[in-house]
Amino acid sequence: MFTRVGQSIDEIGRITQFMGRILHAAMFNRCSSHVIFDQIWRVTLQSLSTTALAGFFVGGIMTVQFTLQVKEFGALGYLGGLSTSGTIREIGPLLIAFMLSGKVGAFTSAELGTMRVTEQIDAIRCLGADPIQEIILPRFIGIVISSFFLLTVGLFMSIGGGLLMGIVFSNISPEEYLRHIPSIVTFPSILSGMFKCFVFAMVLSSICTYKGYSTTGGAKGVGRAVVSTAVATMVGIVIADWLTSLISEAIMIAFVGEL
Amino acid sequence: MIVEFKNVVKSFGDRQILKGISFGIQEGEIVFILGTSGTGKSVTLKTLVGLLRADSGEVWIDGENVTHFKEKDYLPIRKKCGMVFQHPALFDSLSVYENVAFGLRKHYNLSEEEIHKRVTKCLDLVNIHNVEDKLPQEISYGMQKRVSLARTVAVDPKILLFDEPTTGLDPITTNAVNQLILNLSHTLKTTSLVVSHDMHCALDIADKIIVMDQGEIVARGTPEEMKSCEHPLVKDFLKEALDVH
Repeated sequence: MFTRVGQSIDEIGRITQFMGRILHAAMFNRCSSHVIFDQIWRVTLQSLSTTALAGFFVGGIMTVQFTLQVKEFGALGYLGGLSTSGTIREIGPLLIAFMLSGKVGAFTSAELGTMRVTEQIDAIRCLGADPIQEIILPRFIGIVISSFFLLTVGLFMSIGGGLLMGIVFSNISPEEYLRHIPSIVTFPSILSGMFKCFVFAMVLSSICTYKGYSTTGGAKGVGRAVVSTAVATMVGIVIADWLTSLISEAIMIAFVGEL
Repeated sequence: MIVEFKNVVKSFGDRQILKGISFGIQEGEIVFILGTSGTGKSVTLKTLVGLLRADSGEVWIDGENVTHFKEKDYLPIRKKCGMVFQHPALFDSLSVYENVAFGLRKHYNLSEEEIHKRVTKCLDLVNIHNVEDKLPQEISYGMQKRVSLARTVAVDPKILLFDEPTTGLDPITTNAVNQLILNLSHTLKTTSLVVSHDMHCALDIADKIIVMDQGEIVARGTPEEMKSCEHPLVKDFLKEALDVH
């Protein structure tokens, strides 16, 4: 038990160190913008439809759940505001990040792991180049930017999904659904959701690039790397969610006075 | 000596892979390291090029003690030491042309025209034609190995390191690759260190042969000296080389 806890702490330390190396490379080394755009394009195309679909249904689920609660209090008019606020601030970023971790995280980890076990990463070093600069940094930046973009798209789709379910399931008009959104979903709430999206994207890209880069043991090793990426990103995202909630709340209280 | 190992020890966990090996290579020589699987041959090559670091002992390359070099200090050393891996290790997202041009773009400030000339020359050297635009997975394994060799020689290294260059190749391609190592040595005047199981090829083209067993050097000498060596492992290798050929 203690050994496993120790190993996990050790692993977190190594991922943080690895992230430090990437950020150092980002600050002091050149990285081909062509490769970064290629990554952004690939990751975005790969996941746009699934993220949009997932976002749409997350919004729908939130509306259905809130309908059951607000109906009891006769406050159906607040359904749109409450559902959208909950989705934007918490559930939307979380669920969409989970989905991205399965898709983008697993893909990147498998790709880098295969490069490791087929000695492509060693070949880069032998050709006098730095693998962090050549293959990790473009992927890291690409995943952070496209995940942030995808999460944002997912959030806006979730508003659409919530609206549709509000009309179909809760029998309220679009005007009624949308009326209280501006008063409940404040600008700080949107910022809080965006902040979460950014942090989740950083966590996701750090973990999947680290796991892929440190793969050992042939095809089995690649399989292990993909599985452990899926688990580690899920756990990492949940922990990051908890931390960002605390930070967001503290910032809001400090600057706005209330949430 | 252009390459020198002085009492190099390397362990992975409790397992000692290199048990204090020492050898030297003169400029322009072709040296073969032979041994059964798991005796530390590839670890020797990777320690030489800095992919692995020695636990103790010294590694000298071209008059420099590189044992405690940091990763960034190794970059110019790796320009001198080209390594051909056991797997072709071609970058699968880049075309054959871009694979060969990769090192040139990193090390030299060349125009596209100069890069094109150099890439074409290197591909000619390994007898690869009309596949420049293909991805590595679209060409055969033998061709991938030769492209890998072209990529390595493109940056004009003084020392060429081959990790089992003929493993997984048919006999005809094996002969072609062996002949290529010899030709490169003559035409480019490079020093070659080849890790292999192939005693027949070593007898044909090596200037010196080193035989390793269990992380130690058990025999060394010229091909002629090896033929009269009494060590059982060398005798086994010789027997198989004579049986097969």
